[in-house]
Amino acid sequence: MLRLHATAISVFAVSAVLAAGCSAPGAGDENTGNDSGPIKIALVDAQSGQLSALGAWELKGARLAVDEWNAAGGVNGRQIQLDVFDDQGDPTVGTNLARKIDSEGYIAMIGTAESAVTIAMAPILKQAEIPNITSGQSPGLVAVGSEFLFLNGPTSTTYDETLAKHVVDTKGIKSIAMITNNGSYGKGEHDAFLKALTARGVTPVADQVVTTDQKDFSAVLTGIRQKNPQLIFLGAEEVESGLIVKQARDLGITAPFAGAAPQGTPVFLDTAGAANVEGTIVSSPYLSNDIDDASKKFAAAYQAKFNEEAEMHGAKAYDGTQILLTALKTSNLATGKALADAIRATKHDGLLGDFAYDRTGVGIFATSIGTIQNGKLVAAS
Amino acid sequence: MQVFLQTIVGGVSLGAVYALVALGFSLVYRTMGLVNFAHGNVVTVGAYLASTFYLSARLPFTLAMVVAIGVTAVIGLVIERVLRPLENRDFDLMLIGTIGFGIVLDALVIMIWGATGRAVPSPVPSAPLDILGLRIRTYDLVVLAIAAVATVLLVLFLSRTKRGAAMQAVAMDHEAATAVGIHVGRSNAIAFMIGAGLAALAGGLVGPLLYVSPALGGALGIKGFAAAILGGFGSIPGAIVGGLAIGVLDSFTAGHFQGYSELVTFLVFTAIIMVRPTGVFGERTVNRA
Repeated sequence: MLRLHATAISVFAVSAVLAAGCSAPGAGDENTGNDSGPIKIALVDAQSGQLSALGAWELKGARLAVDEWNAAGGVNGRQIQLDVFDDQGDPTVGTNLARKIDSEGYIAMIGTAESAVTIAMAPILKQAEIPNITSGQSPGLVAVGSEFLFLNGPTSTTYDETLAKHVVDTKGIKSIAMITNNGSYGKGEHDAFLKALTARGVTPVADQVVTTDQKDFSAVLTGIRQKNPQLIFLGAEEVESGLIVKQARDLGITAPFAGAAPQGTPVFLDTAGAANVEGTIVSSPYLSNDIDDASKKFAAAYQAKFNEEAEMHGAKAYDGTQILLTALKTSNLATGKALADAIRATKHDGLLGDFAYDRTGVGIFATSIGTIQNGKLVAAS
Repeated sequence: MQVFLQTIVGGVSLGAVYALVALGFSLVYRTMGLVNFAHGNVVTVGAYLASTFYLSARLPFTLAMVVAIGVTAVIGLVIERVLRPLENRDFDLMLIGTIGFGIVLDALVIMIWGATGRAVPSPVPSAPLDILGLRIRTYDLVVLAIAAVATVLLVLFLSRTKRGAAMQAVAMDHEAATAVGIHVGRSNAIAFMIGAGLAALAGGLVGPLLYVSPALGGALGIKGFAAAILGGFGSIPGAIVGGLAIGVLDSFTAGHFQGYSELVTFLVFTAIIMVRPTGVFGERTVNRA
């Protein structure tokens, strides 16, 4: 009897340790945000679950920025401590983490990559006066109206306005089908792109909504195939978009796809297969690693540190972290409202563009158009 | 009509994978009366192993699958061995033990392969067949064929071999089985081993259709579990019918209810289960809980 209990207990002990090891690496740290010792910054992102790829990229970008600053002596002689918290892409877990980073004395937060999680965390962070630089892009982030919430990239409105301008105004494509998912990202994209089309007097030939868990798109795609559109707009995350494109090509759909940031990522490309994504039109503030000297330098450092090719999410988090650390330096290590004001005042020439924050927490208002050619995202001619 | 048929084709290929997952659930339940909640996580492990041997070790796809099935079968044996002291003593602890194993496997997957996941190119590169405007992927046919072969082999094993018959006897009355000299522990170990192997088969086959990530097994596990219940938990033909039914149902609700498709799938599932609580082929002979 004793043995069987011991076995069962050991199973749980191991699982508990492993689960704890993955979910809260920042736990058990007793440093608080006092005047000596390291400056504590929290990175909250999905490190497990469906959206963990985004979280892993974000972490790499932020880590790179922090390590650069630490190697150069930190901020005002103090080292920066970046602790990682796993929100599992879940808003409920996110709100718990918001309370946790408040009680453990973190002065600022990087993340999350998920608009819904960020929106859920925003009221608590606002109350706790913890500035937060998110990679989310939903217009809903602006609607929260928190002076402690900043975006490290443009909103969906900017992405999709630029995209609509390119495909409708420049290319003259009017027959467009839309596939978006019912998650927070897809909903934002749906509304923003539809608004941009409506403003141009274009009605999509199909407006299909899929779920975020969906794996088979035959019904949706067969319906679209019969409408024979010139272009298909995608408003879904990397993997799902990749699966949609792959299945569309298998069904004999030859129309090119268009979308925002996820459609420019290697995960999208690998999931769909390079030949299937040829000609995809992408609206993105970060088209490639060799746009200018800054992105080349970033990509080289990223490659050296993580042995992996840099991509947009890492670049966004890198920019966001640079802005935060710059604001910390210029404000002489302010916290709370003063730090938020310092972030708002920071002008940063980053990888994604020239950041200049407005009242709503948005700092970038332009994206570029790229197309995928020979398996690479290049600037559209 | 074309949309209708294409929707069925799309649903059937994923349905075959759900059926394989359901088979694993059902086999363990049939011989042990236990729901193995780690099954979905074993699917993930199998998918990662198959993709690693296929992409990184550059083995042929078939060989990669065989190796992956072998490794997960060992994992199945380990799970059974750890749970064995609880057999016939504390059933609830056994159930929770499988959940614990699932969490451990999940954490191990992220530790070993990272959180990002990987895309697996199709091992059958030929273009889809075009039959009167209906497009059928060649790889889907491969998946269906393998699922069919696996089912036939499993049925033959259970009904025609001495070992299989012994396993069924254990399921019906383990005390009587022990009395006639059947080793219950060994019978359970084989059930777990084959179950885990089936999970790897499902995970490995679905890799090129979907995307191998830590979340893969969770999604397939739920659908496979639902398929097993729909068909009648513990029933081998039930697992097949349930899997295909869930796949096609999923495909149709996606076309008609769009963003609410998942909700409708499970509402329909609930309605069927309310009318027929034991599922389509359900019998109440296996119940050791």
